Amino acid sequence: MTNRNDQDFSQISRRNALKLGLAAGVGFSLFGASARIVMAQDGQVLKAINPAFDQDWSPLRGGGRTFRWNSFWWASPMYFDADGKIQPYVFTSWDSPDKKVWTFKIDPKAVFSDGSKITSADIKGSWEVSSMPNTKNQRVDQVLSKVQGYKEISAGSGNELTGVATPDESTVVCTLTEADPIFFMRLANHIVPITKAAQSRGSDGEEVADWYKPDSSAVYSGPFKLTALDIDAGTLTFEPNEEFFGPKPKLARIEISSIEDNVTATSLIKSGEYNAHTELITSTIIQDLGPEFSAGPFIPTSQHFWFNTSRAPMDDPKVRQALIMAVDRDGLFKASYPDGPHKKADQILNSVPGADNSGFEPYPYDPAAAKKLLAESSYGGPERLPKLLFVGISGPAIQAAAQFIAEQWRQNLGITAVDMKPQQDAYAGPDQNSVQIFRDDVGTRVPDAVSYLAGSIASTSSNAQNKLGGYKNDKVDSLLAEAATKAADDPDRVKLAQEAQKAFRDDWAFLPWYSQAMSRWATKDVKAMEKNLDWQVVAPWDVSIG
Amino acid sequence: MSAIPLSTIDTAEEAPVNLWRDAWHRLRRNKLAIFGLIVIVILAFTAIFGPALTPYDYLSQDLASRNAPPSLAHFFGTDDLGRDVFSRIVFGTRTAFLVAVIVTFIAVLIGLVLGAVAGFFGNPFDRVIMWLTDVTMSVPNLLLVVVINASLKTPITRWMEAQYLATLNPFYRQTVWVDFLLVFGSMALISWPPYARLVRAQVLSIRNRPYVMAAQALGLSNWIVILRYIVPNALGPLIVSVSAGLGTAMVLESAFSFLGVGVNPPTPSWGNMISDGLRVWQHYPHLLAAPAAVLGLASVAFSFLGDGLNDALNPRGGK
Amino acid sequence: MTRLKQRREGCKTFTLYFKKNRRLRPPAGCAGQEWEVALLRYVLTRFAIWIPSVLIVMMAVYAMAFYGAGDPIKLIFLRAPGDVAYNPQRIEAIRESAGLNKPFIEQFGLYVWNLLHGQFGNSLTSGRSVWAMVSAAAPVSFQLALCSIILTAVVAIPLGMIAALNQNNRVDYTILGTALFLWAIPAYVAGPLLMVALIVLLPMIKVPYGWGGVFDVRIILPLIVLSFQPIALIVRQTRAAVIEVLSEDFVRTARAKGVPEIVVALKHILRPVLTPVVTQLGLIMITIVNGAIFVELVFGLPGLGRLTVQALINSDYPVILAITLIGSFLVMVSNLLVDMLYPLLDPRANDSRRSR
Repeated sequence: MTNRNDQDFSQISRRNALKLGLAAGVGFSLFGASARIVMAQDGQVLKAINPAFDQDWSPLRGGGRTFRWNSFWWASPMYFDADGKIQPYVFTSWDSPDKKVWTFKIDPKAVFSDGSKITSADIKGSWEVSSMPNTKNQRVDQVLSKVQGYKEISAGSGNELTGVATPDESTVVCTLTEADPIFFMRLANHIVPITKAAQSRGSDGEEVADWYKPDSSAVYSGPFKLTALDIDAGTLTFEPNEEFFGPKPKLARIEISSIEDNVTATSLIKSGEYNAHTELITSTIIQDLGPEFSAGPFIPTSQHFWFNTSRAPMDDPKVRQALIMAVDRDGLFKASYPDGPHKKADQILNSVPGADNSGFEPYPYDPAAAKKLLAESSYGGPERLPKLLFVGISGPAIQAAAQFIAEQWRQNLGITAVDMKPQQDAYAGPDQNSVQIFRDDVGTRVPDAVSYLAGSIASTSSNAQNKLGGYKNDKVDSLLAEAATKAADDPDRVKLAQEAQKAFRDDWAFLPWYSQAMSRWATKDVKAMEKNLDWQVVAPWDVSIG
Repeated sequence: MSAIPLSTIDTAEEAPVNLWRDAWHRLRRNKLAIFGLIVIVILAFTAIFGPALTPYDYLSQDLASRNAPPSLAHFFGTDDLGRDVFSRIVFGTRTAFLVAVIVTFIAVLIGLVLGAVAGFFGNPFDRVIMWLTDVTMSVPNLLLVVVINASLKTPITRWMEAQYLATLNPFYRQTVWVDFLLVFGSMALISWPPYARLVRAQVLSIRNRPYVMAAQALGLSNWIVILRYIVPNALGPLIVSVSAGLGTAMVLESAFSFLGVGVNPPTPSWGNMISDGLRVWQHYPHLLAAPAAVLGLASVAFSFLGDGLNDALNPRGGK
Repeated sequence: MTRLKQRREGCKTFTLYFKKNRRLRPPAGCAGQEWEVALLRYVLTRFAIWIPSVLIVMMAVYAMAFYGAGDPIKLIFLRAPGDVAYNPQRIEAIRESAGLNKPFIEQFGLYVWNLLHGQFGNSLTSGRSVWAMVSAAAPVSFQLALCSIILTAVVAIPLGMIAALNQNNRVDYTILGTALFLWAIPAYVAGPLLMVALIVLLPMIKVPYGWGGVFDVRIILPLIVLSFQPIALIVRQTRAAVIEVLSEDFVRTARAKGVPEIVVALKHILRPVLTPVVTQLGLIMITIVNGAIFVELVFGLPGLGRLTVQALINSDYPVILAITLIGSFLVMVSNLLVDMLYPLLDPRANDSRRSR
């Protein structure tokens, strides 16, 4: 009897155990299926969304959306870390006694993904192919414009950078056309990535078509390599580069998919299917994904509204002053970015030495004085002002800001003839010759106040020529020219830049808006996705999930 | 047998007076069509007088109460700049009607002229005009509208500015007219082919009728024949088409605004408002619901009316 | 007319006759081979007439893009953020090597010359071959349009008939009301709403984003959204056509003979109704292929609509021209097919064919 009972008991318990096991198994698999943890069987996978079906992923374009991923699969000469300090990467040392001839030494351990060493010939070839006009690199000017031979290549004649010499495999000697104390800082970005010259450059000196695709057996210099690319479907896959000469990457894989609709993308990120985005800008991003998603350090880039000083009515300084003083810039910032992550700006400089305590007095908000000024101007009042046209406003926050400004002018000054064409901006490009107000950003890739201002208010800058309508202030120019000759750590450099900015203030030529934060665009569980002023993830090998 | 009055022997097409009255009676019995008509009349009234009667100015911003849900103070809530959504929808009605009416008017005009010429004079006009309709219908809509917009924007803006500097007349500073001109022009240029085809088919079927031939035999000039005999009798299907076309033009304008080639801010248009509302509808559903509902209502009303007119003017419906 | 001319006339008018065993037979007086030759000649003539027309259209489109939006190279730099130097010399150098400095006529002539050699050129913005881009996008649009047409035909025609047969009855009003409701919702509103609703409310179902082929489950939602308006249109049109046919004598005769209602519906009523409906379906198909832009954008389908928008934004001439060419070709082919099928569907329509 006891035996039978025992047997029954054990049989039941075995059956129960089986049932339990089955239940547990089913339960776990259901849990695993519905759990939105992005973990593949074999490690951590970063799943990112790209907001467009980009047709051209060549790293040599120096800008655009695809540029933001460059640091994952390419190496640069040096790079700026999250604190803004320059770090060696492919170049281990950089020095120049006279700031005109620079000697760089290549890391002897630096290799491509097939094990071949990164040589000085590769560096020279990469620089040259990026300088060729046909490569359409947007920012190579900022990096190599002072190198001897660049002007000729850029104008379309010749295809060699005569100022770059390669005495041996691991040394690069650069001769500039004029002394530039911060030349080494200009190289510390991914604008001109280091590629295998034999692969990226053809015998005619031009970029080889599709050279970077995996099916062309391309080799990569960064921590990851591109293993799959389907341009029509908009998907890319990166896997760790085993030969990478830096720290070993923690991620097992990176998968990029293209989703054009921002609302869908936001929902997918919220639901956990994806955990990063190339560039997500919506007006409710903080509410949808939390402040950590778009938080980030402030970089030396800022957005403002620039006045075209050569077109009526902006050629009258009193009109410009009236227009600026009639806008409540606190309200302007609230109307566009009430929750951040950017910061309201009162001046051009930000996030560079010299930005704080710059002595720039913010423009006041004084509608009564503005009205008086407008009456004193050559137009005598709002009724005779020609139409004011805004361009560069094809994003939602920018549209809100522009409409806010127009409404402030309507209420405080009585101006009704304000026009904006965000849609035609999107389709036909802003028509720089016929506008009075141009919203655009200015910035720099080096943490230096002089280069920041040289790119925005110096008369040689494209900002001054195209958006400010040929703006030329000799005092500003001379101050900046003098500052450019000072050493990088000379306090005079900063002081002169601050003086130049103050001189610019008196021309009342722009409406300050905000200083930009470089958003991480990754969910909370993704670590080390911080980006620097080059728009790149600082340490892609450190990125991990969970 | 008593004398049978002539009017009862004439067919419906040859006694216009009876046709219209007859059609009106039939229309009145169709409840859906009357509903559509009432809605359209209300919307038209709103379009003409509405903006003067709204509680708020459609431009004034109130940053303190942004994206507010519907309440007694703001019937449909406020948008992201604190503007009253109800007032903006009312002004948007004006935009929608303006665009729909003018675009349809221009398209019908072009279509009527070309269709009548094609149908009446035959080859080679017929061939050329039919080829033109085919070509217009074969180019993708968006492509044509964007290209026209992009290519005409600069010359027109420059001309307006030159005129302003020459005459200082404030009319040339009004930007809204230029916008509308571009929108009307490009939309009309893609909308006229169906009308042309319709008119041509009608003309072809009418021109061989005895009374037309009689008029021609009497020596009346071609143009008078067209104007007095053919066009009035072709009007029936044209009216149906126009009423449906107005609804389509409205939806088309909103679609183009959504894609970015319609009316520019801050002028409100239902399409603009829908496109803005779609970006944030999970947080502020009223920003999407209001303009979408109004657009849907208008489009449905035009459809009902169009169907009703069709049933009323084509008495073979067997009712 | 002489007998020879009569025979030629008979061959030129091709009406296809159907016998009980459904074999195609040429009309009397026309030998088999002559008829086939006449058929071929007709098709080739239509094609030959089409070529100059499409060239004129392409030239107009090219001109408008050229003089209006400008070239893609300038746009790349104009649209770049402000820290990119707008260096006119460099931009000129790029444009020159891309051949964009030549006068308009020369550029267009070069394009046509390449076209005649079967080369569609490379995209000016991304450098990819236009043929690769278009041949990846066109099949998607085409398959989508075909599925949508089939769905529409299968759903809308029976519904329209039912509505007409129950005219002014509750069934009729329900169907008509639903059709009009579907008509009133724009695709660009329905798409995102349904999409997000699906993601948020039913997270277990695979997200309906992306293209996986015709038999992939992700095609269901875009197909439904795409078919809203066509279904509404076809329901109304079928209903109107059936109502017209219902009052004809032959229907009354069939009913009087005691033929069951469903046979009357399918055999007698459906045939004459099909003619305008099929024409309309053809037009709808062209519309979808040319520009189901909203659905493609929202559901991530890599079709021609999305390609068009991208090409327009970038002012990418070769792609814009290729799309115009395809659109025009489709319209021509569809018109041709409809013209040839018309008599097949409705033998009475021989004369009305001229006033289509």
